This record gives sequence, C-alpha cells and structure tokens, in this order.
Amino acid sequence: MRLLREVLRDWEAVIGLEVHTELTTLKTKMFCDCRLSHDDPPNSNVCPVCLGMPGALPVPNEKAIEYIVMAGLATDCQIQRRSLFYRKHYFYPDMSKNFQTTQGPVAFCMHGHLDLEVTGEGATERPDFTVEKDPDGGYMASIRILRIHMEEDAAKMVHVGGSEGRIASATESLIDYNRCGTPLIELVTQPDLRTPEEARVFMERLRQTFLTLGISDCSLESGSMRCDGNVSIRRRGARGLGTKTEMKNINSFKSLHDALAYEICRQAEVLEAGGVVRQETRHWEPSKRRTVVMRVKETADDYRMYPDPDLAPFCLSDDFVARCRARVPELPLEKRDRFVVAYALKRADAAQLAADPRVASFFEEAACAVAKEHVPMVANVIINLLSATKAVTSAQVASLATLLATDAITFMQAREVLELVDGTGDDPQRLVDERGMRQSTDTEALAATVDEVLARCVDQVRQYREGNKKVIGYLVGQCMRTSRGTGNPKLFNTILCERLAQEG
Amino acid sequence: MPNISELSAAQIAYGVTCGDFTAVEVAQASLDAIEAREPEVQAFLEISGDLALAIAAKTDERRARCAPLGSLAGVPVAFKDNMQLVGTRTTCASRMLEHFDSPFTATCVQRLLDAGATPVGKTNMDEFAFGSSTESSAFHRTCNPWDTQRVPGGSSGGSAAAVAAGEVPIALGSDTGGSIRQPASFCGVVGMKPSYGVVSRYGVVAFGSSLDQVGPFGRCVSDVALTMNALVAGGRDPLDSTSQAMSAGFLDNLEQPVEGIRVGVITSLMEHEALSAEVRTALAEACAALEAQGARLVEVELRHMEAAIAAYYVIGPAEAFSNLARFDGVRYGFRAPDCATLAEQTARSRAYGFGAEAKRRQLLGAYLLASGVYDRYYYPAQQVRTLITNDYRDAFMRCDVLLLPAAPTTAFRFGEMSSPTQMYAQDLFTISNNIAGNAGVCVPIGLGVQSLMPIAAQLQGPAFKDHVLLRVARALERGMEEAGRMRPGVVAPAFARRGGVLA
Repeated sequence: MRLLREVLRDWEAVIGLEVHTELTTLKTKMFCDCRLSHDDPPNSNVCPVCLGMPGALPVPNEKAIEYIVMAGLATDCQIQRRSLFYRKHYFYPDMSKNFQTTQGPVAFCMHGHLDLEVTGEGATERPDFTVEKDPDGGYMASIRILRIHMEEDAAKMVHVGGSEGRIASATESLIDYNRCGTPLIELVTQPDLRTPEEARVFMERLRQTFLTLGISDCSLESGSMRCDGNVSIRRRGARGLGTKTEMKNINSFKSLHDALAYEICRQAEVLEAGGVVRQETRHWEPSKRRTVVMRVKETADDYRMYPDPDLAPFCLSDDFVARCRARVPELPLEKRDRFVVAYALKRADAAQLAADPRVASFFEEAACAVAKEHVPMVANVIINLLSATKAVTSAQVASLATLLATDAITFMQAREVLELVDGTGDDPQRLVDERGMRQSTDTEALAATVDEVLARCVDQVRQYREGNKKVIGYLVGQCMRTSRGTGNPKLFNTILCERLAQEG
Repeated sequence: MPNISELSAAQIAYGVTCGDFTAVEVAQASLDAIEAREPEVQAFLEISGDLALAIAAKTDERRARCAPLGSLAGVPVAFKDNMQLVGTRTTCASRMLEHFDSPFTATCVQRLLDAGATPVGKTNMDEFAFGSSTESSAFHRTCNPWDTQRVPGGSSGGSAAAVAAGEVPIALGSDTGGSIRQPASFCGVVGMKPSYGVVSRYGVVAFGSSLDQVGPFGRCVSDVALTMNALVAGGRDPLDSTSQAMSAGFLDNLEQPVEGIRVGVITSLMEHEALSAEVRTALAEACAALEAQGARLVEVELRHMEAAIAAYYVIGPAEAFSNLARFDGVRYGFRAPDCATLAEQTARSRAYGFGAEAKRRQLLGAYLLASGVYDRYYYPAQQVRTLITNDYRDAFMRCDVLLLPAAPTTAFRFGEMSSPTQMYAQDLFTISNNIAGNAGVCVPIGLGVQSLMPIAAQLQGPAFKDHVLLRVARALERGMEEAGRMRPGVVAPAFARRGGVLA
C-alpha cells in the first residue's frame, strides 16, 4: 500500500467521528440510584431498574443532564430546551430491557463546533495548506458538531470457553450489569475532518475539554471514552461522497490515527484497482496494524425508535441552563490564550500546560510564587523537568524556577536538585545553599577559569578561529568541569566569546 | 356474628381499631370466604394465607402496643397479579412469569400495606392485561359472581370478581383502556381509574406506559374513596417520574350535595347503537337520579371519540411491544431449555411463554413502530390523542363531569366474543379517558331488566379533579339507592354468607 501522504495528494479523506463518553464522575447511574463503579465485583451495583425487572421505572439523573448541557456549552452547541428520550429496540442481553433509552431527532445539544490547531509534522498530512496559517506553524480548522445526546450504557459481556474472548467459539456468555445504565453522552461530528491527524487532534481537544469540565475520566484505555471513526475518500476536487466504512475498537489516540490512515490507504488501493468500497464496520487490530471486516451492513437496522412514555418531555428552564453555564470552567483554549498574555509564555508551552486542568492549576500555583518575569521558567520546569518526578510541590517548582531564572544553577543541576527534593517537601534554594551548588556569577573568577581553559585547549581555539564556531560548546564544558560546576555556563559562554574575539 | 362480606372496608378498619375484632380474625374470615367461594369464582391466582396472617398479626401487635393504626387497619385486600408484592409471585397470568417471585413491592401495594391492609392474594387477569374478559389468562378463567356462566370482564376481572363475591372488601386493578371500569360494571362493584399520574406505576408490570393507571375496586364509593386516600397519602412517588402529588381528602366532601354540578351527557353515546336497551334505560335513570339532587344536565360533544379505539390500538400495542421486549428468558421468566443460540432461546422462550393475544399485540406493535409504518400510524395516533384531549378540555369548560355508558352491554357469556375486534369494541366508552389521562369511575346503577346482570354508569372528570368525580359518584350511588334500584355494598347474592363468618 502507498504511504498516507502520497495517497492524500490524490484523494481527499472525509472523516466523521462518533464519540461515546461515560460520565464517570457522577455518583449514580442514568435512571436509578445504583453506584457507578468500574472495579466492583460483577453485578454488585444493580437494582430492578437497571436489571430491567418488570414494573421498574426510570427516573432521570438530573446531574447527568447538567453535565451534558455543560458539554454542549463548552462546544458552542445550541442547548435544546425541549427534548425527549426515545426507546431504541434491539434484542441483545447486554441491554436488560431489550431497548436502550436514548434521544431522538432532537438532542440536548445541537449544532456546535470545536476549533483545532493542527501543528508540527502532523499538519503536513494535509496537502492543500490553504487554511489560515497558525503562528506556531500549523493551521486552524473548525469542526462542526452535529449533536451531543444523552443515553445509557449497556452491560459488559464476557464470552468464555472460546479463543480470544470471541463470541463465535465461546461456550458461555457472562453478563456484568454494573455498567448497564451508566450515563453516556454521544457526540457526533459532521464529516469535516480531512486527515487522520485532524481526527487525532479533535479527540485530544475533546478529551481535554471534557476533563476540564470534570464530567468524565475520559480513559480511552479503559473504555470510558470510546470513538468510532467513519471514513470515505474521494478524488481531490470531487464533490460527492464515497462509500464509508466504520472503524471500531479504537482505544488510543494513536489507534485512531493509524486505523484511519490504514483505512484511507486501503480504500485508495481498492478504488485504484478498479474495485468498490463496501459499506461495512471494520475492527482495528492494533497488533497487526490493520482493520478487518467485522460486519457488512446491507440494510439499515430498524430500531423502532419512539418516545419513551415513562419519561416526561424535558423542558429545561433558563435558570437551569444559566446554572450549567456558571459551572463551565475556563476551557483549554481560553486558558492557553490567557497564559500567553498574562505570563508571556510561548503559545505551544501555554497550550501544553492548559491541556490538562490539573497541570494548569499546578502551574498557576507555582507561577503565583515567583517574580513575574520568572514565570516562563516555571513553565519550562514543568514541561521539561517534571516527567520523572513523583511528588514535587508547586512551591518547590517555584523555588527551582527562580534559581534557574537567576542563573544560580544550571539545568543539569536542576535535575539533580529535583531528584533530591522529590517527595521530601524540602526547599530547593536551601538545598542548593547547603550543598554549595550555587553557581558563581563573579565575572573575575569566571574569567580566570576561562583563561586557564583557553591556555590549555590550543587546538580548539585554533579551530574556532578557523571558523568552527561549534567548538564553543566544548570550551564551555571545559570551563564547567574546571569550575566543578559552580560557574554559570551562560556567563562562561559570554566571556569565552569576548576573549576569542579580542585575541582574534 | 357478622359475615366478612357484609362489612365495608371502613367498618372493618373501625372494628379492628376499636378492638371489636382482631386483624387476624378478619384475615381468617376473608381466607375462609375465599376457600368457600373460590371453587366457583376462581378470582385468585395465588392466595397468600401465611403472608396475610403474619401481616394481620403485626397489625394486632401494633394495636396491643397502642401504636397508631392506618386507615385500612386489618382490611383484607387483593391485588391484580401484575403488581409486585414480595412474598408472592407476580405472573401477569402468563406462562412467561408462572414462577416469577416478586423481587420488590410495588408502590401502590406498599401504600395499602402502610395503611394497615392485609394482603390475601393476587387476582386473575387477562394475560399481561390484554383483554376485556379475563379469558386470556394462561391459567384459568374467572366467573362472574352474578352468573358464573358469564365473564367478569377484564382485564382486572379477578379483582372485580373477588370484591363482588365478598371475598375481600377492596382490591386493586389496573386500567389501560377500561380494565378497571368495565369489570366493575360487569360485576356490580365500584371501580375507579384515577387521573394518569395520581397513583404510582412503580412495580406494576407495564402494558401501555402512557395509558396505565392503578385504581381501586370496592362495593361502595366510600370504600373506594378510603382506598384512594391510602394510595395518595404518601405524596408523589419519586420512583415514578410520571407520578404527581394529590391531597388525600377523598372522604372530606364525599357526602356534600351536588346541587348545581353540571353533568355532561353526549347524546350520540347515550343512544349509541351498540348499547343494549336495558343499559340505555338504566342510564336514563342515572341521569334522572342526579338531576333529582339538583345537578344540571348539559349536552356536550366529544367529536373525535369514534377515533379513540383506532388510536388506542396503535398506541397501546406499540407501548406493549416495547414493554414486553424484556421477557426473553435471559434474566428471569420462562427460558426454553436446550437452545443452541441466543436467537433460538429468545424465540422459543417467547413462543411458549406468551399466549395468542399477547403475541398478537406485540406483533402489531412491532409492525406499527417499523420505519416507514411509524409515520402512517403512530404519529397520526398521537395527533388523534391531542384532538381527543382537546375535545375533553372543551367539554369540561361546559360541565364538571361527564356521564357515559361503562360498557355496551352487561356481562357476556364465556366464548361469546369470537373475534379480537369484537372484544376491542368493549372499550368503546372507556378508552378515550385513558387517551386523555382523565379520571373515570363506574358506579353500579342496578340490574338489567332482561339480563338481571349489573349495569353501571361511568362518570369521567378532568385530570386531577378526582375528588369532585368521586363526590358525584357518591351522589349517583345515593340517588340510585333512594330510587330503590340498588343497595350499595351488596355482594352477589349466590355468594353472600358462604363462609367468612367473623368469629
């Protein structure tokens, strides 16, 4: 098969996503008081309602409605004041009533959008780079959201006795109804995505948004956030739509990207060989990095949807919507823009910090504790130094950032300091002083070291003068070694340059 | 010594509270009456003797402790077998649920228990409440206590018959298109379908969720009022999101005169061709009895009434198909043995578990909701529903209650209704009330001059004016008694005093 970028020069991909998100941060299920839990023993959080016992009736979870309205507001959806729950019928034991309670033509949230910034290597998947250029070397795309509706999740089924848990060869099927009735929101995009990278970025942005709202733990691995990708391709410049296929079993951002990329290339190969793409559901096999046919859809399923007579039509009040609006916190993009303006951060750094609400608030705690001009260093520390640490406090980060920003220690030393204070709560500045790690900024002493090094490294000095400016790095390293790490590398650099220029 | 069937629910509760007799004695008398009368009536699917005696003993124990007793202290009650009661099976008269033990107790049942009632058993019904004669029960038929060759009506035929035969003073039924009012009419007892939302549906196996409503049977209007109080006293049920609060003041103004009350009559219905002559005559007497008390008769119209049956047989089956989808043999109920696949298990369990009428309604519903068909039937049916609701709204601007026939004729013989559509026509006068969600009650107005079987008048009132409706019902009952047409509280003569002596 051809490479994606090549294929996308000839073909345009049309991608739409359906994203299911369990509202895992709620305490109870959608229509009963059963506890939401992922790790309780099977069938321990069940009641007549979620088991579909005869005579049991659903009572909607108001908090879940609040969450979906928040999700709608955060994605610029129009909140529908009047909407209904519908019954969607199919006979399968994972849905205890043999119908799923979901929404009909009118969802709580309709016609929103989510704006993407596609940057870096991934941006080049799009050959028609006509979209507005982004300051960080990428492009912006606005993806329309058709709807977000509320529904209930099905039970988990385990097929035992066969190979790989597949139903075909299983001897028994076990059903765990703990998940049955978990509040689920389904977001459907318009087919506005054009590259696998855009789809990946969309999912990332959506996940950041939902995490910021605090409505779900959004784990693709555990399945609390699930994404199906629909993709078709058409010749560049063509206007009609090709036959689409649907991708399932996508449990990471990378899977989403790779499954779509594979599928686009596969469809191109089929079409270029004069074949036809069949409308079918395909299963992504991450280990083999390919999609395989799951089922072919020849006729549309008839779910016999009709309004659920057990649930009165919803009529959301202005008050309710206003309350939801007040609960929507600052969203990642707003936060990023504020970080750029308020703290003079680089856009990319600000975006990275703003993506995760916990990281963002950690950053702001630390930022409060340093001088304004040192805040970018705080960002630098969080982004570049914290990955390996276990329990560093924002106060420690603030202290460390100040040391770095005032050239009191080097980045290399900072790593060492972090290792020492990690989990102790000790103040890095005190530790540096106690251990005499503070770098000298006494230029006379530093100049003496520089002279000593220049005298010793005749070869390198010659090379420098012959035009190999890179050797300056080696010389700075020698200065650092000679001073046993107490000298400031930037100052060494400056003095070295001066000296080499003078004597040249 | 009084016989249990000569006492009203109110008298029993009073007697138990005063210590004239104990709840256990009352329970025993009711169980004795059931034992003596049941061979001919067959109103019950399950007699919960041990449960009844245990609960009655608790009532007596409360009294011994001077703890307050409820308004139904020691009153034996029977529940239609689509209402869950822990300690009993809930079969819906279906093989599908033949061995299904109630996993929880329905709110309506619990409220009567909270008021001190003694549950003596579960009554027969048409399978899953599909029918108007109780003949579609998978287990046995129930006989009309006034003539055991005739049906008790349905679908709540067992509850109506148990009350008419004096086995219990009150019972609960459910009414989706007339299933309380028509059997009440056939059995000569009072039966009320409250406004939709007044009584919680939680724990009542659903037939048509937007139409179903639970209500009481009694031998007099005041016992029905007493039971209504118990049903609504706990306020709105948080477990049923369609339920609403109603004040428990049903007895407060029950005896108040009805002078000036406007009673609407619909001439086209009072002279409907389906009505037998004796029913027509009796209805005219009922109107006269109310007029004699100062009520004013006004002519009103329900223009779309004729479309009600058609709309009902779209909405009802559609909801039934959906509500009965859960019976697949996976989690509970009948499961066909030795199936190789899930599809086979589902198909065979349902094929055996459901009777002919249950299958017919589900197939009809599955068809009506299919894509392409939905727009032609379900949607127009909902539009008809709106029209009928508006008709009622307009009619109730001109009158306080409506007086209508309850059923075209008195009770018919077993097997007399040969086709489903003939049976469906039984609901002609009751169905529009469910479609609009209004309140309705049937009051006995005497025996037919030809059939010598009970006839009832049906009163309907606007939604949530249930108190007014019962007040007019009481006036009608009083008027018919004064006219010498009937005696309230009377048991079908063949069964009076058979067993059930209150020792």
